[in-house]
This record gives sequence, structure tokens and C-alpha cells, in this order.
Amino acid sequence: MNEDPVVQATGAVPDGTGPSPAADALSHAGALLQVRDVRKVYGEGHTEVVAVSDATMAVDEGEFVALLGPSGSGKTTLISIIGGLLSATSGTVRIGDVEVTGMSRRDLTRFRAERVGFVFQSANLVPFLTARENLLYVAGLVKTPRAAAKSRADQLLEELGLIGRAGNLPEQLSGGERQRVAIGRALMNDPDLVLVDEPTAALDTAMGRQVVELLRREIKARGKTGIMVTHDLRMVEYTDRVFEILDGELTHVEEPSTLGH
Amino acid sequence: MLAIREFQRGLGRFSAIVSALGLLVFLVLILGALADGLFYGATGAVRSTSATAYAFDDEAEGSLVRSRLTEVDVAILAQAPGVEQAGPVGVLLTGGEGPQGTLSLSVFGIDMGSAGTPTTLVEGRLPDPGESGVVAADERLTDEGVVLGSTIAVGDVTAEVVGLVADASYQLQPSVWTSVATWRAMRDAVRPELRGQPDGINAVALVTTPGASLSEIAAAAPGITVLSAEATGLAIPGVEQQSSTLNSIIYTTLAVAALVVALFFALLVLEKRELFAALKALGASTSRLGGGVIVQAAVASVLGVVLGTVVARLFGLVIPPQVPTLFRTDTLVTIAVFTVVAGIVGAVFSLRRIARIDPATAIGGVL
Repeated sequence: MNEDPVVQATGAVPDGTGPSPAADALSHAGALLQVRDVRKVYGEGHTEVVAVSDATMAVDEGEFVALLGPSGSGKTTLISIIGGLLSATSGTVRIGDVEVTGMSRRDLTRFRAERVGFVFQSANLVPFLTARENLLYVAGLVKTPRAAAKSRADQLLEELGLIGRAGNLPEQLSGGERQRVAIGRALMNDPDLVLVDEPTAALDTAMGRQVVELLRREIKARGKTGIMVTHDLRMVEYTDRVFEILDGELTHVEEPSTLGH
Repeated sequence: MLAIREFQRGLGRFSAIVSALGLLVFLVLILGALADGLFYGATGAVRSTSATAYAFDDEAEGSLVRSRLTEVDVAILAQAPGVEQAGPVGVLLTGGEGPQGTLSLSVFGIDMGSAGTPTTLVEGRLPDPGESGVVAADERLTDEGVVLGSTIAVGDVTAEVVGLVADASYQLQPSVWTSVATWRAMRDAVRPELRGQPDGINAVALVTTPGASLSEIAAAAPGITVLSAEATGLAIPGVEQQSSTLNSIIYTTLAVAALVVALFFALLVLEKRELFAALKALGASTSRLGGGVIVQAAVASVLGVVLGTVVARLFGLVIPPQVPTLFRTDTLVTIAVFTVVAGIVGAVFSLRRIARIDPATAIGGVL
């Protein structure tokens, strides 16, 4: 496949503010997302495994950060706790004025529908709904009026370059197009936080770059907060800051450029 | 939206469950038609008259043909408390001659106008009280060429058909209704061993007052048992056994339908586990996803009922007339309701499976 045109046009260096000052990277008041001393332990006694060990991080509104780590490092566990999919053994997660770690399952379901957008590894679109219907489905979860939902879906599809594909089923779309529909779906309910799980895992490099570039643009344009889990260093350049997790230990990377291998 | 769209765009897959349900409904409807055909064919003569109860001798076990009473019993029972009317009933199962040859007949001798008079006249008239040599015939006999004015012969006794009555078969044999005198003449013609019983009848038809106690009536006449008309129908040899056997098959088949639906949706949910996990992560509740599955099961069941009904009715057209079948709307409605309920019950088993899907599995996946 050819080099991605979007990346060529904008250059390889992403726009945005770049890494924040280190002083308040891990914890500061007023951040949209505040993770404090989050710990997740599986099993008991000899079989005890610490998946995440006292993680603390803060991400401001409008920031797009990477959570980097190899397989089994705990990044999936941490992002699941932040997204309200998994309960922490201890510690707190706050998104805006809401403490996620204290919510019931039922409240969490509604909270995710209203305030969190997810982009999964393999798009995970509903195979029997068209691109537009996939967006409308999540709008239905928060009871958005039909007409408003439809115009928002079309607007998103337009921005994502998919308006001509709105009536297509996922099986009629390419991998990159599917992932773009998934981005639209994540943004459909105007969430505060967008969590992205290895968005490029099922894509080739050029397509992967195009998708992450688009993701960044959409998140930045809307002033959303984004966290992208990845093990792919090449995608880090599109983010403002990088957190690295290794064996459950979370660290803020001061100089992403030093991450080259 | 999700559930219906999946149905529309996955017609191939859902046609499997609709066809399976359609076949089961077809089977149940045919069994139901046979059960109804047997029941109504066997009991018409005791359901389609003015009688609300019948009196038998104690040894008859509720069988009209086995019972032996006399006209004296009619007079005794007419005086019993709670009896408005009492009329003699003579029954003869025999062969006869019609316009197109031999007929299987059940001949009923009654006092026209008294208890036990047919209430389902569809053409012509009933014989007048005391009128001999004429009959009202079961309309099923029109298949054998019998029309108003035809002559029916039993032995050397002939009678003219003056009326037709509906739903009046007895033990699947079409009936003719005549005076006690004509019936007795026919009986004596074909059953010489019963001659010399000038006042012998089989049973006494009763019209009772609402709320009358049948056991009190029986107590007024020693050696006599009284059964309601409904119980008399069920006491006809084989009727209750046939009904319960066929109903057992019907309800077992409906249970199988529930099982088929349960398995189908269990597989469907298993296949969509990953998708459901993702949708739960996006904020879809278990009840929303489960509701969709229930809706799909209900739609599949309704379509299965429609398909099965169409096939059963078409099949009904080729069932030979000798096989007693009866397609009744209330049986269809009952079976339709049971099928849809069975379908929904089957799908309910998937709810636990959906509830157990962990939205956290949507993240991580292959890496």
C-alpha cells in the first residue's frame, strides 16, 4: 500500500502541545482524568498476581496520551479500570467530578454510554448494521432524539471521509474504514474520555498511521481527552505525552524520543 | 433496532429456526386436528342435543350402547328433583343401505321435543313428535349421497330423510335421529336376540335445572348412574384415552419446540459473545441485549406458527376423508399461544448467558 497521504501532507510530527511539564504529570488537581494509587491484584496467596501496582496519573482535558507497554504489562487492566469495565482492588479513578471506582455496575453501564467512548482493537462493529446504524445504535443507548442523532452521525461520517459508505455493512468496508467507523461511534455520544485499545493491531502500518492521525485530529478538534493503549512505538509520535507501564509499574516518560529501540 | 435489523439481514440463519418451528407447529396442528377429529366425531351425538345429563344403568360405566333401561325409568327420572325433562334414548350401531350403497350408522331413537332432541338442524326439519318412518340424518351422510327425501334402510325397515343435523356423529359413525318406535323396529330387524323388549331403551336423556345435583337425581332411581353430557362424551370408549395420548404428544412436541429455540439462541449468543462484550463496554445493558434476543425469539415463533399453519392447512386438503380431522380455530389459537410462549421461554435461557458476558473482555483481545 502507498504511503499515507494524510501523514505526508501534515508531516510526521503531530501538532499539539507536546509533552507537558513533568512536575504535574502524575497527579494534579483540575485534570479531567485522575488516577490515584490504583492497584489490581488477581488471585490470592501464592497465586497472587499484581497486574497494576499503585498507578497514579492525571490527564488534562484536550490531551491525547499514549499508554505504552508490552504484552502482559498491565496496560489493558489499567485502561479497563479507567473505563469502568473492571474494578480496582484499591485506589480511585475520577473522571471530571465523578468517582468511577465507587459506582455500581448499573451506574457504570450508563456512565460508559454517556461519558466514555471506546475504540477496540478489531473495530468490533455490529456486523448486521450499516456504518450509520452503528453510530445510531450507541446514540440510542443514551436516548438521543432520532433526528439529532441522525444529523450528528452524518456529520461524523462526513468528517471521517465515510459519508459515501454510510449505508454499507462492515463486511463491505476495508479494515481502515471499519476502524474509522469505530472512531465515529466512540465520539457519537460526545464523551469526555475516549479510550483506544491498540487501534492499529489489525491494520498495516500506513493504514494504522492514517487511523491514529485521524483519531488525534478528531479528539483535538473536539477538545476531548484521549488515552491510546499501544505497544507500537511508531504511533507514540501522534500523542502529547507517553505513560509507560512495565510489570504493572506505571511511569511517565519524560522524553518520548528516548523510547526508540 | 439491533434485534430486528439482525433478523432482516440474517434471514438465512433465522430461516433455519423459523423452518424448524414451522415443522413442529405443522406436526402439532395435524395432531391437534386428528385429536379434535376423533373427539368431535366420537362425541357429537351427546354434545349436539338439548340434554345436559344422561342416566345409565349402574353396570354401563357411562356407555350408551352398554346401558339397558326401560321406559319406566324415564317416568321415574322425570319426577326426580332438579329434572326439567326426561326422554328415552335408544342407540343402535349398525350397517344400513343408502342411495349409494351400505352405510355405517348410529341410529338414535328419541322422543322428539323431549330431552335429547338434536339442536344442530342445518336443513329440512326434525321428525315431529310421534312421527314414525322418518329420520333427521347427520350431514356427514351427504358424502354418501344422502339428501333430503332419500330413503335409508336398516334391515327391512326404511325411513325417509326429512332433515340434516351437524356435528352429530357417535363413535365416528354418522347418526340418524328417529322416533323410539322406528328405532325399535330397526333394532329388532338386525338384532333378533333383542326382540320381545317392547319398552327397552338404552339410557335416559335429562334436561336438568341449573345447579342440580346429579347424584341426588341418581338417588331417586335405584340402580341408575347419572353423568353430565360432557362426562358422557368422555365415557365413550377410547375418547378420553385418545385425547390424553394425543395431547401428551402435542405438549411434548411443544416442549421440544422450546428446547430447539433455547439451543438456537444459546448458540447465537455464544457466537456473538465478543460483539455483546463490546456493546456492553459501550454501555448497552444486559436487559437491552436480552430483550433483543426475546424479541427475536417471539418473531421467529410467530413466523413459525404462520408457516406451520399454512403447511398444515395445505396438508389438510390431501388428508383422505376417512381420516377424521377437524381444524378448529380455538385449537389453532391455543397452539399458537403455546408455541410463542415456548419460544420465549426457550430464549429466556440465554439471558443468564448474556448476563455473564464480561464487558472487560472487549479490551485486550488478541494481544
